[in-house]
Amino acid sequence: MSPKPNLRVAGPPPEPVAGGPVEFDELFARYGRYVAHLTARLLGSGDADVDDVVQDVFWLASRRLPNIVDMIQARGWLATVTTRLVGRRLRRRRFRRLFHATPRGQEVPAPGATAEQRALLARLYEVLESLPTDQRLAWSLRYLEGEPLDAVAAACGCSLATAKRRVRAAKKVIDEVFLRDGDEDE
Amino acid sequence: MNDPMWTALGDKVEPGWAPEREWAVRAAIARRATRRRTVLRTAVAVASTGLIAVGGFALVSWRSAVPSSAPAVSGASTALRAPAAGGEIGIETVTVTQLSPETVLAPLPDRDGRGFALRAGGARFSVPHDTRHPFVVVAGDVTIEDLGTTFTVRYLGADRLNIAVEEGRVRVRAGGTDTEIPAGATLEVPVSPLPEASPKQQRPAGVATSSWRPLAERGQYEEARKALRKAGPSAVRDDTADLLLAADAARLSGHPAEAVPYLERVLRGHTHDPRAGLAAFTLGRVLLDELGRPGEAVDAFAFVRSSGGPLAEDALARQVEAVSRAGDVTRSRELALLYQRLYPNGRRAKAVSRFGGLD
Repeated sequence: MSPKPNLRVAGPPPEPVAGGPVEFDELFARYGRYVAHLTARLLGSGDADVDDVVQDVFWLASRRLPNIVDMIQARGWLATVTTRLVGRRLRRRRFRRLFHATPRGQEVPAPGATAEQRALLARLYEVLESLPTDQRLAWSLRYLEGEPLDAVAAACGCSLATAKRRVRAAKKVIDEVFLRDGDEDE
Repeated sequence: MNDPMWTALGDKVEPGWAPEREWAVRAAIARRATRRRTVLRTAVAVASTGLIAVGGFALVSWRSAVPSSAPAVSGASTALRAPAAGGEIGIETVTVTQLSPETVLAPLPDRDGRGFALRAGGARFSVPHDTRHPFVVVAGDVTIEDLGTTFTVRYLGADRLNIAVEEGRVRVRAGGTDTEIPAGATLEVPVSPLPEASPKQQRPAGVATSSWRPLAERGQYEEARKALRKAGPSAVRDDTADLLLAADAARLSGHPAEAVPYLERVLRGHTHDPRAGLAAFTLGRVLLDELGRPGEAVDAFAFVRSSGGPLAEDALARQVEAVSRAGDVTRSRELALLYQRLYPNGRRAKAVSRFGGLD
C-alpha cells in the first residue's frame, strides 16, 4: 500500500483564469469537491458510489484535458460528465432492483441537517427513486443544485424545452406527494 | 414547499468529502493511468512483433520465390538463393552473387534453378553438387558444369571468359573441348561474343524493334511479347540467345504456340550450339505439356538425347512419356527398358515405369 501524503491545511484555490491551459492537478484541486457534492445530491448517497463517480469523471478529464479550454468552462464540462455518469449508475441501479427488489436502504448524507430536514430528504429521495431518471436528474439539478434551466439543459444533453418539460413533470409529482403528505399530517 | 427551500435542503446534502477520500480517488486515477500505459505498451509490442513476424515470413517467401519467377537479374553483389532440382530430392540451395552492377544473369528455363546464362559481367556461384542435377552456367558458347563447388565466372572482355574455382571442381566445355578445373585454379577461355545483328537487320535508332529484349530479360514477358509482336519477326536476331529469349517471352507470357517457331529455328540453324539441347528440351516440353502434340515432342526429346549432355536422362524419361501419350505402347516400353538400363537409379524411374507399362 502506498503511504498517504502528509496532510496539510490548504489555502483557498486560486481564482479561475479564463483562456489558460488546464492542468489536471489544478482542475482536481478546484473542482474535486464540487463534483463530489454534485454526485451526492444527484445520487442521494455519500458512499463508495460517490468516490467511483468522482474517479470516473476525473479519469475522463485527464484524457480530455486538451479539449477543456479553460477553468471557467471546465465546471460546465465536469457537470455534464457527472450528470451522464450518475444517470448511467441510476439506471443500472433501477435495473438491478427489478430482480432483487431491494428497497432503498441508504441514508441521505446530511450531517448538518435537523431531524425534520433529514426526514424530508429521506422522503424526497424516495419520491425521486420512483421518477424516470431523466426527470429526476433535471429536477435535482434545477432545485437541489440551484442551476438555471439552460445549465440544466446543457448538463442533461437536451434542449431547453426538453429540460423544462422534464423539470415540470418531476415537480408536479413531487409537489403532489408532499401536498398529500401535508394533508395526511394535518 | 417553495423552490428556495428545496435548494436550501440540497445544500444540506454533504458527502463528507475529506482529504483522505480525495487522496484515494487520485491514487486510483494514477493506477488507472499506469494500467492504461501498460496495456498500450503491451498492445504496441504485440502488434510490432506480429508485423516483424509477418514481414520476415514475407521476406523469406519472396527470397525463396525469386529464381523461379525472375529470369533476368542484374545489379551489384546481390545474393540470389535458388531452390534446386524440384521437390523430388528436397530443397538444396544455390547461392549466386553478382559481382558487378553490369552483371546480367538469367536462369535457364527447365533447370529448376540449377542453370544460369551469364550475359555480361561476372557472378560467383556456390553450389551443392548433385550428380543427377548438374548445375550449369552458360556464357556465350562456353558451358561450365559444376562438380561440387564454389566458383566465379567473369567476362574479361567481349571475347575472354575467366573461370576461378574456390572449392571442388568444375568442367568447362569450350570450343568442343572439356577441361576440368580443380580448386584454387583459374582458366581463361575464348568466348564467342553474342552475335550482333547484321547491319542489314538493324533498324534505325529509336525504332522500338528491340525494346522487347530488355523487357524479357527483366522478366516482363507479357510486355516483351507485345513489343515483339509490334516489332515483327525481324526483331529477333538469328542467334541462339535471342531465339531462346523470344521463346521465353512467348512461352512464359502464356502463348506457348508462339514459342515453337523460335525453338525450331534454334534446332534448324544452330544444331551445334551447346544450347541447342536446351532449346530442344524446351520445345519437347511445350509440345507435350502445353500444346498436346506428343508425336512431335518425341522428336524433340530424341534430339536432346542425340546431342548428349546433362539433359539426356530427363529427355529419355520425357520421351517415354511422349511416346506413351502418342499411343505407341511397344515403343514406350522399349524406351522405358532402355532408361532402366542406362539409369538404374534414375530419379525419374517411377514415372518412366508408369508410362512404359513396366509397373
